[in-house]
Order: sequence, then C-alpha cells, then structure tokens
Amino acid sequence: MAHSDTDVDHTAHGQSMGLLRVLGPAHVWALGVGIVLVGEYMGWNFAVGKGGAYAALIACWFAGILYSCVAMIDSEVTSTVAAAGGQYTQAKHIIGPLMAFNVGLYLVFAYTMLEAGNAITLGFLVDTVAGMTGHEGGLDQRPFIVLAIMFLAWLNYRGVLATLTFNLVITAIAFVAIITIFLATSPLLGAGEMLHKDLMSGQASLPYGWLGILAAMHFGLWYYLGIEGTTQAAEEVRSPARSLPFGTLAGIMTLLIAATLTWYVCSGLMPWEYLGDGVNGAVAPLFSAAQISGSSALVWLLGIGTLFATLASANGCINDASRAWFSMGRDHYLPAWFGAVHPVYRTPYRAIIFLVPIALIFALGAPLDQVITFSILSGLLGYTFMPINMIMFRKKWPLDTIKRGYEHPLHPLPAISLMALCSVTYFAVFLGYGTQLIAMIGFYIVVSLWFHFWRYRFVKRADQFTMPWPRPRGY
Amino acid sequence: MDTWNYIEYGAWGLSALFGLLILIDWIKIDTTYSEEMLTSSREGVLEAMTEKHRLEGSDGTL
Amino acid sequence: MARYVPPVQSKLGQIIDVIVLVVLSVGALFVPLWLGLAGSAKLPVPVENPTWESLGQNPVMVQQWNKLGFPDAASAHDMITARYDYSFSWVSLAVMVIVIVGYFVMMIRFSDIEYREVIAEKFGEK
Repeated sequence: MAHSDTDVDHTAHGQSMGLLRVLGPAHVWALGVGIVLVGEYMGWNFAVGKGGAYAALIACWFAGILYSCVAMIDSEVTSTVAAAGGQYTQAKHIIGPLMAFNVGLYLVFAYTMLEAGNAITLGFLVDTVAGMTGHEGGLDQRPFIVLAIMFLAWLNYRGVLATLTFNLVITAIAFVAIITIFLATSPLLGAGEMLHKDLMSGQASLPYGWLGILAAMHFGLWYYLGIEGTTQAAEEVRSPARSLPFGTLAGIMTLLIAATLTWYVCSGLMPWEYLGDGVNGAVAPLFSAAQISGSSALVWLLGIGTLFATLASANGCINDASRAWFSMGRDHYLPAWFGAVHPVYRTPYRAIIFLVPIALIFALGAPLDQVITFSILSGLLGYTFMPINMIMFRKKWPLDTIKRGYEHPLHPLPAISLMALCSVTYFAVFLGYGTQLIAMIGFYIVVSLWFHFWRYRFVKRADQFTMPWPRPRGY
Repeated sequence: MDTWNYIEYGAWGLSALFGLLILIDWIKIDTTYSEEMLTSSREGVLEAMTEKHRLEGSDGTL
Repeated sequence: MARYVPPVQSKLGQIIDVIVLVVLSVGALFVPLWLGLAGSAKLPVPVENPTWESLGQNPVMVQQWNKLGFPDAASAHDMITARYDYSFSWVSLAVMVIVIVGYFVMMIRFSDIEYREVIAEKFGEK
C-alpha cells in the first residue's frame, strides 16, 4: 500500500520534499461527498427540531443554493490557486495574511469538530447494534470513538492515495444505501409506507411558525457542510484546473439528491418531535427509519451505510484539517515544526498527529449538537469569507489578467446571494445558540489580535506569495 | 461478561496499537532525517515548475 | 525595499504558541458549556396527565411513536413538549450584528496592512 503511494515521485527535481500528485477527479468527488454524506445520516435532523419538517426541507433547498454558490466561487479560485491549504492559500493571496490565518483556523475547526461528531455517532451506532443483539446494560462507547479516530489517523498517516481510495469505496456504498431505502419505502417500488400527510398535519406542520423556517437554516447547512474541502487536495491532484471544478460540482449535485431523498424518507416515517431530537431521539435518522420500516435487510444496509458515512467523513476531515494545519506551519503562521512532510509516505504527518488529541477531547467531552454547532459556525465564517474573496479576486485580477481553469457565470450574483444566505444563517444560529456564536467570534477576535501583534513577526513577507501571478491591480 | 465486553477490550487494544504504530514511526522518522529535510516543502514549488515547463515547452506563444 | 528577515523562534516559544492556541480553542467550546450558558436548552413544557390527544398527536403519529418504542403518551411527553425559546431582545441581536461585522472589518483592515507589505516586497515598490 505504502509502496504504490511512493511510486509516482514528482519531487525528483531538487532536494525539496512535497506532497504527492496522485489523485484524479473521482478522488476529489470522494473527498467532497465523503466528508459531507454523513450529514444525511446524522445531524441534519436538528433542523427539524428547530422548525419542523417543512422548515427542514425549505432549509435544505436554500442551503443547497448557498452551497451551489460556494462550489462555483470556490471552483473558479481553486482552478488557479492549486495548493494544499485550499481557501487558506486563496485568502493569503487575495485578501491578506490575517484573513488567511483565520480561514486556516476555520478549516481546522470545522473539520476537526465534524470528525468528533462522526466519532460520537459511530459510538452511538455500535451501542445501538449491541442493544439490538441482546447486550444488556449499555455499552462503553468510548473505546469505539477512540478506535475510529486512531485508525483513520493511522490511515491518513500512511498516505493519501490509499486513504482516498478507501473513501471512494465506502462513500459510494453509503450513497447507494440512501437510494435503496428511498426506493424500498417509497410508493415507486416499495410498499409505500410514507405518511407525510398525517405526520405533518396540524401543530406538526410549522410548530414554530415562519420563524422556525429561518431557525432551521442553522442545521440546514449540515446537509452539505464540508463540500468545499475538495480544494484541500489541490496539491495532490494530477490536474487541479480540471479535476477540482468537476469533482466539486458533481459532488454538490450528488448531495442535493441525497439530501432531498433523506428528508423524504425520514419525515415520512417519524413524528417531527422524535426526528428533530438528535440527542435523545433520532441520533442516526436514516438508521431509525430503517428500524421502523421493519425490514431487517434495510436495518443492516443503513447501519452499514451510517458506519461507512461516519468513517468516510472523519477520514476526509483528518485529511483536510491536517493539510490546513500543515500549510499554516509551512508559512510559519504556526510553529514551523508542523510544516514537515513524511519522507516515505509524503503526508503532513506532524499535523495529523497533533490533531488526534484535539479531536479526542471534543469527541469524548462535548454533546453532539454543541460539537456540530461549533463546526457549522466555523464553516459559516468560512462561507462569509468567500464572497469577499471572490469580489476582491475579480477586482485585483480581472478575467484577462490570469487564466482560470473555470470561470463561474453571473458574477457578482453568486457572491451576493451567498452573502445574503450567510446573514440569514447567522440569525438562525442566533436563535437558540446565540451564546456559542458570541463565544466563537470572541475566540476568533482574540486569536486575530494574537496573530497580528505577536505571531506575524515570524513570517517571511514576500515568500507567502507563491503563485505565478502578476501584481494585483491597485497595489 | 458477554461478547460485547470482549469487543470493548478489543477496541481499546486496537486503538492503542494504531497509536503505537504512529508513535514508533514518528520517532523513527524524526531521529533519522534532518529537520531541514523534513520541513523543506514549499508552497507552489510544483506550480512554478509546471508553469515553467509550459513556457519552455511551448513555441513561445504563451 | 529592504527584505524583512523574521527572527528565529526558539523551541520553547513554538511550544508556548501551540499551547496558547489549544487553550483558547478548547476554552471557546467548553466555557459556554461549563457556565451553563449554552443556549441550546430545549425545555419541556409540562402537560398534566398527558394523553396522545392532549399532546396533539393523531392516530398515525401514535402508531409511529409505538413503533419507535414509546408505548404511551407519558413516555413521549418530554420529547413532544420540548420547545426552543426563540424570544430574543433586539439589543442582543444588535450586539451580535456589531460583533460579527466588527470582527470582519477589523480582520480585513489588518489583513490589508499586512498584504501591502507582502506585495511591496514581492513585486517591488511602485
């Protein structure tokens, strides 16, 4: 396994050590969808809790628009900025070092928290399976949480090609599982057990009224959160200008389908109060839906689907978070020690190791909705950065100054809609989770001051600008 | 005690094993290679190379 | 323009920097939890002697509750009646807006100062 990872060696020129360029568009798809698909298996249903089933569907589609904008904007910038840090590197070249530092942290926290959320779900799943097979007195979930994180860290440590090939396979299985439960329970092929009409009538239609629809946007992001992670692989993709836009846009389409099907199946089988309670009720809603359907084949399939989705996601998260951390170390935004590449496996091994205990702290110590909120907030701050980034990018380097592998249409419409949707989502988070929002922003303000007044002195100035671009307009 | 209790111990054991594998390799690498060599990766080095290739390889129209 | 040569950071300094970051980030998540300020609290609104009807559940819903392992209304009571409190004051909304906008404005300002330096050193002064 390790051998095939090192077969292709692009660093023959010179002594310097770099990451390996081995990935194709399918890997990009697997990285993007792999991280996100778990969002259909757990977490999205908190949106039902915040506004009811209709609100969750509306949130699902509005979040879909938000992410289509994200994917378009991201594809354009990434098709020119092909480096491991993804949005971090974009920010560094387009807006400036402090913004880049913040974006790097958004990425690391969004992914590390998502990884912790995955591990928590996995522990719950093992516990449920133990209960179903007649185990009494509950299970200690901790060893399974720890094992998932350790195993995936090890896999990531060993090389990116094997890691993402593994992701490709398990993501595909998890996606097929969603399609299967839809076909099996819908009137199209199956028995037609869907009860939307009765389950969503009366008080259950919009329990919080119109405000609930707004509030649901908070967890509506969870259907897609992490798709932007595809850019993180830029330094390891064989032809980034082509593969990245293709993989990302194919990914967002896959997710739109999966999210809608998931909503349809789950809201047609479970009362919204149960579905919307992701802590005591439906922790893994698709799995619960399979349990209700009464088919043991479906229970197994969705159990395996949930397991694979959490693993694929955690796997991709480790991959992305460590690359962001590594890139910041390489630029001395963080201690230079983290900027090391493993000489055999060509992975950012120290960053991978460092993030293991961080993920463990959160996976073992915090409740699921808090961890998810932390992740969503970091993601949301990142999406707020994107329209600013896009507008500055087009201003500093108009279309005729650098060649883009992909140009997104209708600029600046996507940027403006993205900004508007982000504002709505801030308000949605504010409803119910305002304290976390303020705590989180407070954290970023403090670290920003720390970076600007202390840490930045260790950073070489011109060396940060690594793209072969001309001088930006207006500077 | 039933099977699940053994599985729990198994999971702890495997976690420790993976942790140990990473740890051993980490120590081995850090003691074998020099720090300069390990941290010699530079952002955009590959891009600059391919960019240059294209410029040299083309007939100068680029 | 003279190239800026950054000081070399000692091992100890590097370690301290990492600890600072870890403490801050763990703090940002756990402090609200510890202080009990985490506003996610969904509180059950108690209903005396709950029946499925008084909880607003129709027969189809009841059938699904039974399948989910809730045999009677009392067992599902807490889950059904739990509600978020969405009442908020305009003052706290205003505070939130100011904090978020202020954060981004500050960041872009500082970034721009640093960015001009980078560009000047990379491409030379104009």
